[in-house]
Amino acid sequence: MEPTNKAQVKGERAFKYAMLGPAVLWVIAFTFFPIFSAIRYSFANYVLGRGVTGYVGFKNYLMVLTDGGFWHSFFITLVYVGISVPIEVCVGFLLAWIITVGLPGKGIFRSIFTAPLFTMEVAIGYLGVTLFTSEGGLVSALLGTIGIHIPWLATAEGGLAAAILLDVWQWTPFVFLMALAALGSIPDEIYDAAMLEVSNHWQALWHVGLPLAWPVLTVAILLRLIEGLKSFGLPFALTSGGPGTSTQLFSIMNYLTTIQFFDFGRGSAMGILYLIMVSVVITVFFQQMRRRIE
Amino acid sequence: MIAIVASIWVLIPFFWAIINSFKTFEATFSAAAIIPFLNFQPTLDSWKEVLGDPQSLNSLLSSAIVAVGTTLLVLLLGTPAAYSLARYEFPWQSKDIALWFLSQRVMPPVVVLVPFYIIMVQLRLIDTWSGLILLYSTFNLAFCVVIMRDIFRDVSKDVEEAARIEGANLWQIFWMIALPLSLDGLIVTAIIVFAFSWNEALFASALTSQHASTLPAFILASRSTRGVNFNTAAVNTIIAIAPPVIMSFFVQRYLARGLSFGAVKG
Repeated sequence: MEPTNKAQVKGERAFKYAMLGPAVLWVIAFTFFPIFSAIRYSFANYVLGRGVTGYVGFKNYLMVLTDGGFWHSFFITLVYVGISVPIEVCVGFLLAWIITVGLPGKGIFRSIFTAPLFTMEVAIGYLGVTLFTSEGGLVSALLGTIGIHIPWLATAEGGLAAAILLDVWQWTPFVFLMALAALGSIPDEIYDAAMLEVSNHWQALWHVGLPLAWPVLTVAILLRLIEGLKSFGLPFALTSGGPGTSTQLFSIMNYLTTIQFFDFGRGSAMGILYLIMVSVVITVFFQQMRRRIE
Repeated sequence: MIAIVASIWVLIPFFWAIINSFKTFEATFSAAAIIPFLNFQPTLDSWKEVLGDPQSLNSLLSSAIVAVGTTLLVLLLGTPAAYSLARYEFPWQSKDIALWFLSQRVMPPVVVLVPFYIIMVQLRLIDTWSGLILLYSTFNLAFCVVIMRDIFRDVSKDVEEAARIEGANLWQIFWMIALPLSLDGLIVTAIIVFAFSWNEALFASALTSQHASTLPAFILASRSTRGVNFNTAAVNTIIAIAPPVIMSFFVQRYLARGLSFGAVKG
């Protein structure tokens, strides 16, 4: 739209800022302000009912950094994301490829595979208890019939594995949908031409499908990584962080420190440290991927 | 073949929830009882129990009000901003502003739990619908701006130009031309925002106790106080997951684009 005169330019200026302004102000007020407060509290001695009673420098940070629980939860969050995201990407892409290269009933499969996407994480974790518990749980019962007994929810590894399985159940559809859209936007001629050069299905998947979907897959990986590092509802509802504190992913641990013990100084310091670590992980990862594409 | 196995894997938890919701408490102890009437006598008891519980009804109501309220507020704030970014030049690149909005999502919400808790206490918004709506709008605004900006860029400028020549002002062009032409995108955005707010658990359990306790908070609370009863757990699960899942079916084709922040043109 080419503005034709000065009044119009002025009107347009007013209009575009009036439209953008509220959202920007909202984000500044409700994101920047809380982050700065979080930084402030992380240096403070906070007593419930009395507020900030003084500043203690890096004491909260030192407490967190020397706390084994913090490192443990950081570590298992990485394990959780490090196992679930690759599975989600591989399976999601594989399913999208199968459906794209020719399967009757494409619409039905798409509907089915998409169903878990918007399910409530807490509800899935809760339902997961009834799937994995050794007393009448479906998964335990099924595995029991072939003689396998895994104490899913009674051990740290089992609980984490169950949570990862449910995470994969819920989020593979996300990668699937994105890969499906990426593969679907490519004209048939390109497929036909590419298919002539490969001899079997696996080669086609590897040499045709993957390169075509890769740009979109990197976005999917990045978004899954971001969301995975925030995981809370599903593992919390499934294991409550237990047995003990063994399956406390970072958000669960931070939540419990803050809300159950009202240790606001330490809770904030944890959050800030985690934010820094997450930013580093995501930046490094993103740069690696970029390099690989170029 | 793989597709069929995957379908079964996807559907099993849903079936399990549905079957358990019709079992009696005693029948839930036998996992093998899968076929109604043959293996066990189906009953509506647990549905009656859950739907007759004022607390769970209240959390259902809270969830609905908070999710709808958030969706409306986010669209109200985010859509004009997105349109402005899609159409006009700014001293900064509009892509950078969009990216700045997007960067808000990297932050794990738990980082700002303390400040928000204190803000809510000070504003007396603890355990209120407004408190949650305010909070969820903050978390979802970025998403709405980025995706709607992308969608508005696809609306033909020629149509808008024609309207302008007809004498429409800028607001009318936005309200009567651009918005209706982007209705599909708007609906997808609304549904995704609705689902995010409906499903949010962390702040829901931290900032509510009774009055405004939404379904995720209610489920987490009842899990720790009452333990897990298979049949009522199943009913709660079904009620909790049904609304967003059903909505998502209607917009499947556009979901990839929405969820990828516009990276995929589906």
